[in-house]
Amino acid sequence: MKRQRRLGAVAAATALTLGLAACAGGASDYQSTSGGSGSLTFRSWSPIEQTTQQMIAAFKQANPDAKIDATIFNYPEYLVDLQTRAASNTMPDIVGLQPGALTQQYRANLMPLQDCAEKTWGADWQQKFYPIGLEQARMGNPAGDENFYALPLLVQTVNLWANTKIFEEKHAQIPQTWDQLKSTVNQLKGGEYAPFMLPAKDSWLRNVVFLQIANNIEPGLVYKAEDGSDTWTNPKIVEAFDYWGKLFTEGIAQKGAIGLDAYPTGANQFEAGNAAMIPLGAWWIQQSDPTKTGLPPLSEGMSGYQPFLFPTIPGGAAQPQLVGGIDVSLGISKNTKDPDLACKVLTDWIAGAGAQKLVNTFNDLPAVTGLNPEKFTSDKQQQIWTTLTSDWMPQVKYSRYLKTPQMDTALGDALSGIATGELTPQAAAEKVQAEQQKVNG
Amino acid sequence: MSDHTHHHRTAPREWRTGILFLLPAIVLFGIFVVYPIIYNFQASTLDWDGVNPGRFVGLDNYTRLFQDPIFLTTLKNSGWWILLTIIPQALIGFLLAMLLNEKLRGRAIYRAIFFIPAVLSPVVVGIVWQRIFDPFNGVVAKLGRATGLNLLVHGYLADPKTAIFAAIVVNVWMWTGFSMLFYLAGLQLIDNSVLAAAKIDGAGTWRTIRSIIWPLLRQTHLSLLLLGIIGSLKTFELVYVLTEGGPNHASEMLPTYTFKQAFQLQSVGFASTISVVLLLIAVISSLSMVRAFGSGFLTGDEK
Repeated sequence: MKRQRRLGAVAAATALTLGLAACAGGASDYQSTSGGSGSLTFRSWSPIEQTTQQMIAAFKQANPDAKIDATIFNYPEYLVDLQTRAASNTMPDIVGLQPGALTQQYRANLMPLQDCAEKTWGADWQQKFYPIGLEQARMGNPAGDENFYALPLLVQTVNLWANTKIFEEKHAQIPQTWDQLKSTVNQLKGGEYAPFMLPAKDSWLRNVVFLQIANNIEPGLVYKAEDGSDTWTNPKIVEAFDYWGKLFTEGIAQKGAIGLDAYPTGANQFEAGNAAMIPLGAWWIQQSDPTKTGLPPLSEGMSGYQPFLFPTIPGGAAQPQLVGGIDVSLGISKNTKDPDLACKVLTDWIAGAGAQKLVNTFNDLPAVTGLNPEKFTSDKQQQIWTTLTSDWMPQVKYSRYLKTPQMDTALGDALSGIATGELTPQAAAEKVQAEQQKVNG
Repeated sequence: MSDHTHHHRTAPREWRTGILFLLPAIVLFGIFVVYPIIYNFQASTLDWDGVNPGRFVGLDNYTRLFQDPIFLTTLKNSGWWILLTIIPQALIGFLLAMLLNEKLRGRAIYRAIFFIPAVLSPVVVGIVWQRIFDPFNGVVAKLGRATGLNLLVHGYLADPKTAIFAAIVVNVWMWTGFSMLFYLAGLQLIDNSVLAAAKIDGAGTWRTIRSIIWPLLRQTHLSLLLLGIIGSLKTFELVYVLTEGGPNHASEMLPTYTFKQAFQLQSVGFASTISVVLLLIAVISSLSMVRAFGSGFLTGDEK
């Protein structure tokens, strides 16, 4: 009897579970959570909450009836949230997206945006955008699919930053070539600061530094290795791996570089004056956000910083190459209840009143040209802004991302292996190539 | 006869009432435990990105898993983690509990201080310790440089040979206060007359600890052992923040690897496979503990 009861309970629990079980791996018919016209949901990891609220307020000034419910997460949490929502038919109306794999993962749930763009900005709408942003927005689309499932909101270059205070004190020159980099690092050694702070714990940072080196050696070669028209074991790429390793073996990077994260530690150290150079990107200008109070002295009006490009490599390209891409792009759920409103919000945030609010915070560079902050706090800040948006961004040819997360991970792992001495450049190249063949099938 | 009939008539009603009482628990258990396990197992048989339709691949994910060197690293790391957190944590925690069980001036403050790390967010602990260990600008390295102890000037989190052990040190620091608290509670339960009897019998302090107190804390040891094993298998935040599982996966744990597979590499199927294995390890280790030591330490019943 006792046993029977127990069986009964188990059976009840099982029946119940099976009754409610949706299967893993099934496709679901997506529905938006939007409650009809005039109300939208937005979820993303970027822009930050405070800025997002300003953008919403700016949009509502012109559209008082619109209701936008926004939630901003940390990036890893956002990925979990988005995946769960997409799988449970509660996809937000507007979503933040990374180009490539993330956009492609949700492609089936996203609405093509070129009609919205054309309706808002006219037939030549593509002219408004920096070319690399548009190129990356379609990265990974299946052959023949020319749709834009996401449009860039913010873009960036990846580059180096100098602490000009240290450079001036030491009468040092910003290095333009690899040899100058080495001699500058030697010149700056012995202080309380790291001459070249490499926060290499993060895979993304390792990859962008490597891509700057590789493109300076042979512009564009890694992307050929990626699409299979060349290989990662090409001596020029092996050489790039070798130069990456030299950052560690030749004492350029600080001790323990592979254990230091870019955010918050590396960035904090640089801002506190504990480093003379650091590889980050255009977004570093956000340190001088005039809407923030109590900025550290170096960040006030960008007074202590200067951006520069990764030094050229002996035997490589004569000029440093520009690497960059999308910081964050936006997509619209295919099943949004109010596509017109969603389009209006999206285009407003990319190039309208909302975009102006976003750009005013110097969060990163706008995806469209000619959009500038209303107020600069210093001439230096304005001069850096102009360098980034007018001189550099239009010239960006090379992507800071690889096309698939598998390759981004394989490259990041290989670079980590070189940094810790577990892999030789040749072995690292072979590992990445092996993974590439797996990915390309 | 009438008794017999009576019994038969009321039994189903009793049964129904019983089920009704159990129902809320069964429903919750079904939704939050049974269903995810089934779902997870099913997902482990798929090549699936978590969003788009998956493809059935049978047990391929399992074959791939056991050939995956990173998975083997996570198993090895879990082993180290279990061994090197549970034992030192128990010993130091016990020692602290013994000290703070005495009538010491300000002992409430000491107890609080030792317990504070356990209530901090692992993310905060991770960020702070990453800075403490930073060989360029961290406290440990600065101490090393000041004293000439070169041993301290080393990037322990940055070295694949030591990263997992550095993370374990932080974990021990974090959770020792928790063990202390358990032992303090256990010590309160020891009957003073037993200790008094030992004293009369001429047992010294060491003898009393070894032969009386330590054995009487058996339930506490076992509870900490089980919590330690489960906690080790579940470790995520601390490692993710300290090393992100690196360098080059050297400090990867099962949950950090699962997260990477599911959300960075979009391989929810493979990640589910890791979860299934993790679940099996947890269930097997818990069950074997209950088998070996009885369930008294879980239910509080003396055996």
